[in-house]
Amino acid sequence: MTEPVWGPVHRDIVDLLADHPADVPAVVDHLTKLQDMLVRLPPLQASCPLADFNRLYLTITSSVLDGLYDDRFVDPAFLSRLDVEFAARYFDAMRLWTDSSPGTPKAWSCLFERMRGPDARPLPSAAAGVNAHINFDLPFALVTTFDHLESEPVDGSDQHHDYLEINKIFADKIPGLRRGYLERWQLLIDMLNGDIDDWYQGELVEYTRDVAWRNAQKIWRCRHDPDARECERMRLDDNAAALGRLLLSPLGAFLQ
Amino acid sequence: MASDVDTAPLVGRAELVQTVRSALLGDGAHGQTAAVFLTGESGVGKTRLLGEIGDRLREQGAVVLTGSCLDIGDASPLHPLLQALRRFDADLSTRARTSSAVRGLLQMFADETAGPDGAGALLERVSRGLHLIAEGRPLVLILDDLQWVDRSTRQLLLYLLAGLGDLQLSVLAAVRAESLQGAHPLRRVLTELRRLRTVRVLDLAPLGRADTEELAAAVVGRTLSAEAAEQVWQRSGGNPFVIEELARDLRDGRDGLSETLREIFLDRVDALPQHAHAVVHAVAAGVEPVQHWLLAQVLRLPEDELIDAARAAVAHRLLVGADDGYRLRHRLVAEVLAHELLPAERSGLHRRYAEALTAAPGELHQARLAHHWRLAGEPARALPAAVAAAQEAERLHGYAEAHRHWSAALQLAADPGPLTVDRVELLENAAEAAHHCGEHARALALLEELASLRGGEPSCALHIRRARYLAAAGRSALAEEEYQRALKAADCSPRDRAAAAARLAELLLHLGRYADAGERAREALALAENVEGSATEVVLASSALGFSDACLEDPDAGLAVMRDALDTAERAGQPEDVACAYLHLAELLTGPLNILEEGVVVARRGAERVAELGLGRTWGTRLLAIAINGLFRVGQWAEAEKVVAAALRHRPSGADAVELLLARCRLSVGYGDIEAAGRDLDAVATLLAGGGARHVIPLLTLRSGLAMWEGRHDVARLAVQRGLTESRSDDVMILSALVWHGLRAEAEAHASRTVDVDPTAVRRLRDVADRVARKSAGAARPVRSVVEGFLALCAAEVSRLDGSDPELWAVSAAEWDRRHHPYPAAYSRLRQAEALLARRSRVATAGKLLREAYHVAQGLGAVPLTSEIRELAGRARVSLEEREPTGATRGAPTEASDDELAALTAREREVLALVAEGLTNKEIGQRLFISERTIGVHVSHIFDKLQVRTRVQASAIQLRNHRG
Repeated sequence: MTEPVWGPVHRDIVDLLADHPADVPAVVDHLTKLQDMLVRLPPLQASCPLADFNRLYLTITSSVLDGLYDDRFVDPAFLSRLDVEFAARYFDAMRLWTDSSPGTPKAWSCLFERMRGPDARPLPSAAAGVNAHINFDLPFALVTTFDHLESEPVDGSDQHHDYLEINKIFADKIPGLRRGYLERWQLLIDMLNGDIDDWYQGELVEYTRDVAWRNAQKIWRCRHDPDARECERMRLDDNAAALGRLLLSPLGAFLQ
Repeated sequence: MASDVDTAPLVGRAELVQTVRSALLGDGAHGQTAAVFLTGESGVGKTRLLGEIGDRLREQGAVVLTGSCLDIGDASPLHPLLQALRRFDADLSTRARTSSAVRGLLQMFADETAGPDGAGALLERVSRGLHLIAEGRPLVLILDDLQWVDRSTRQLLLYLLAGLGDLQLSVLAAVRAESLQGAHPLRRVLTELRRLRTVRVLDLAPLGRADTEELAAAVVGRTLSAEAAEQVWQRSGGNPFVIEELARDLRDGRDGLSETLREIFLDRVDALPQHAHAVVHAVAAGVEPVQHWLLAQVLRLPEDELIDAARAAVAHRLLVGADDGYRLRHRLVAEVLAHELLPAERSGLHRRYAEALTAAPGELHQARLAHHWRLAGEPARALPAAVAAAQEAERLHGYAEAHRHWSAALQLAADPGPLTVDRVELLENAAEAAHHCGEHARALALLEELASLRGGEPSCALHIRRARYLAAAGRSALAEEEYQRALKAADCSPRDRAAAAARLAELLLHLGRYADAGERAREALALAENVEGSATEVVLASSALGFSDACLEDPDAGLAVMRDALDTAERAGQPEDVACAYLHLAELLTGPLNILEEGVVVARRGAERVAELGLGRTWGTRLLAIAINGLFRVGQWAEAEKVVAAALRHRPSGADAVELLLARCRLSVGYGDIEAAGRDLDAVATLLAGGGARHVIPLLTLRSGLAMWEGRHDVARLAVQRGLTESRSDDVMILSALVWHGLRAEAEAHASRTVDVDPTAVRRLRDVADRVARKSAGAARPVRSVVEGFLALCAAEVSRLDGSDPELWAVSAAEWDRRHHPYPAAYSRLRQAEALLARRSRVATAGKLLREAYHVAQGLGAVPLTSEIRELAGRARVSLEEREPTGATRGAPTEASDDELAALTAREREVLALVAEGLTNKEIGQRLFISERTIGVHVSHIFDKLQVRTRVQASAIQLRNHRG
């Protein structure tokens, strides 16, 4: 019998993933528990690349939760649903990986594969997770959320405003993380949000942050067409996976 | 059929089959709806399981309807149900009565016509029809390929699962897991549903190693060699479909094992005789199931040859044949075949399908024609079919599907060619359908195209239409501008102007701009005066004016305007206008004016009147919901319950149904009927799984209220936390009720010691309460008044965490008395009395308060509140019956024949019970409102009488005597 995917914490993680958190407090609770499990995962333990991402994601989601309690958003119903949907995709990817399913998004598998080593530096590891999560998961989470709320991704709407507010949380959190990581975070996030070409042109930071939103609008328009939707999914997965591999390559370590 | 189609045994799923069976027809499902959703990857065996379970359920005496969803887009509303009924009808041989019920339901679909509220009424008729078919037997609806379900079917499923159809129904559906990735609408639905007690979402995993070997061995007919077993395991990954096919190749001694599924099937396709080859590709291009006659026409083969060819394809396990036609053996086969034909070959096949179908109308006729003509590269012929399909979908109220067909038609019409179509008409229809199914951005884009096609200045009507779409999309600022433009447009008729002004007033009212709304409303009324037959505008404007006056502190004027509007509507005689006028009048009375009794009377009279006018299902239900909520607040719960039952007999759907179920649940929570309240909460959650956020906070508030009566204060806390993170801070009324529930949960946790108080939660709740207070300071008077009541409760609950303050509870009681809401007032009195007793001051006042609260709670039938009052009175030795002198010993219910405790007094028994709970003397003193020293005396008496020396020994005796 081969060793289970999650080694000694396999049972714990499978049990945790059996539950589907339905609100933001529950998501934070889930991520907290997950963090405790991931750092026990041999051989890398505390420096597990997925733990690097999870730690950052937990910090950001906790800030979103505080923001919700502190009345920071115009449409909390939207933002909460989005946050839950967004997290669900991360948990889904873990579930698929647990089943060794070929359906695991490539954007995620490139990070999951590195859990057994070789060790990647924390910055590129966390960045690879952020990449998969933002460039692949986020557009779909947006579409599902709008669909559920019987609303639409419209520029300049309350929801768009709140969505951009999350970007600010990312930005806010990053200086705090600089003690752990280095100063290129901001740059990296900007880069990850867009095509590398845009980044080289050194312009349109606002635009690149909006890439997930634009992609969501694109999927929104073809959401009733299973073929077109699937096509878009593959495209995003391939792009995100390519970027993820780059980050986890020696080139990514260079960013550290 | 051919020898090679024998099916392999079902391996490794016995437990699952049992689970599903008992979930659908077991004891748990008794009298209730139930659902099981199977998710899993292609080839994992979902369809096979559905068939297997369906057979077993049929043997158990269930009526089983089986349908599949189609992947040609939103083909047609309710297609899987129609297909299931036709199949069922074809299979029926004996029961004449059932057969006529099935035909009756199918005929109903054929006769359905588009109209207002058609969608809801259709749901009701479908559930009636299913009821007749079931004839009291359990009914099971099995749906395969649910990932392709159309929106109407999805709504129907939720309606039936919420119990609104009053039908005992089980649903078993299979969903391809791959499809749920991405942004599939079912994702959210399943996430919400999987939390319910009556719903199971089962993820079908691939088989394990041992099961893989067992299945392969069963197919091959002998145990596999270790090497072969390893190969099958490695290559199949436990996917039963692949295992079966690999094992078959192994059994038949084909050279080497194919590396991939693709190779397996390509090899088989290559090995097919020529005609069989054609059969397989033709079926792949068709819409399954492909009937035999159709296949014959498409392939133009003589009957004998066609049958031989089909047989060969079946024998090679590429095709299956059933009574209703041919299908590819598996979706995976279709994927393999997809790239094997040249484009010209494929379009040729579609052309022949289209030609054959043109001559023979049948199921999904227009949608299929449009599909085939389009893929045949014949837009001119596809176009009329797409238009007809759109109209057909609208007839069945499937606006989402209609919108898809209209859009397809527009695309077809865009291709250059000899097309003579009225593009304006297409755009108008497409825009309206998009608006109806909530595709607001698309509706607006279509309108833009319409405007540019017409050229020149946009007409007044177009501005009004754009404003309407914008308002529906929640883009109020833009909608307002658009109404302004309509009013200024040169071609604006007096009638249009009155309509625009009235709608603008309505919009402004929703934005809380009462003064502006009033001004526009007056303008609209003045304009409408000179227009014949403008009752609709008068009603709309009057209600805006009525509400704005009421909110601007001139309630009498507002009420007078609204009453006039009702007269106008009655004189004009349009049913919708009358209904609308009644609704707004009742809302005004029960809402901002808080004249509850009269509001209830108006709402009930209105409901009767609109029922006469044929609008009972929709408007009548809404009016009754207002009456129910009014009756609840004035404390006439029994009456409210009767009205709920009457309203539910209308079989409402959608938001109307949600309102009613929430109202009934509120009553059940008050009554302490935990079972019924839980059922309604589940039903509401089921309906909300289909979309919508407006009712989520009331749902969570009730969930926490219910949890508190159950003593599950942590559950109550979680519900409130979710609510706090999902409600808009400007919904101060809803939010203030929620915050009170949260603080009450913490206070109850503190008092009962069952759960630790969460200081962070308390801090957050207090922050929100402060914010609500700030925001409501600037709100209209009626809003402020409600909020103040809840904030008074909040302040008092906070004090409970730290020595309850009777003064704060007195304030709260007065606040609710002022608004004539007896239930929260009685609750406040209970707490006030409790606080006074805890301080051991003004015991007589406390007794009086308790008796008042008791009287009210009993009158309401509020069981949990009553028993809390009784319990407190018992502990404090306060008599609740006024005739008895205070301090008389009550007949304690526990005073039975527990011998060992016979020597103890009633008070000593109370103390002992608390000792056994592990409380200290100090805590017991607080609980019973006597000093710690007195408790010490009681305890030593207890020790003496029981002849024990420790609290543990005393507790043991207590427990021994109260085991039952």
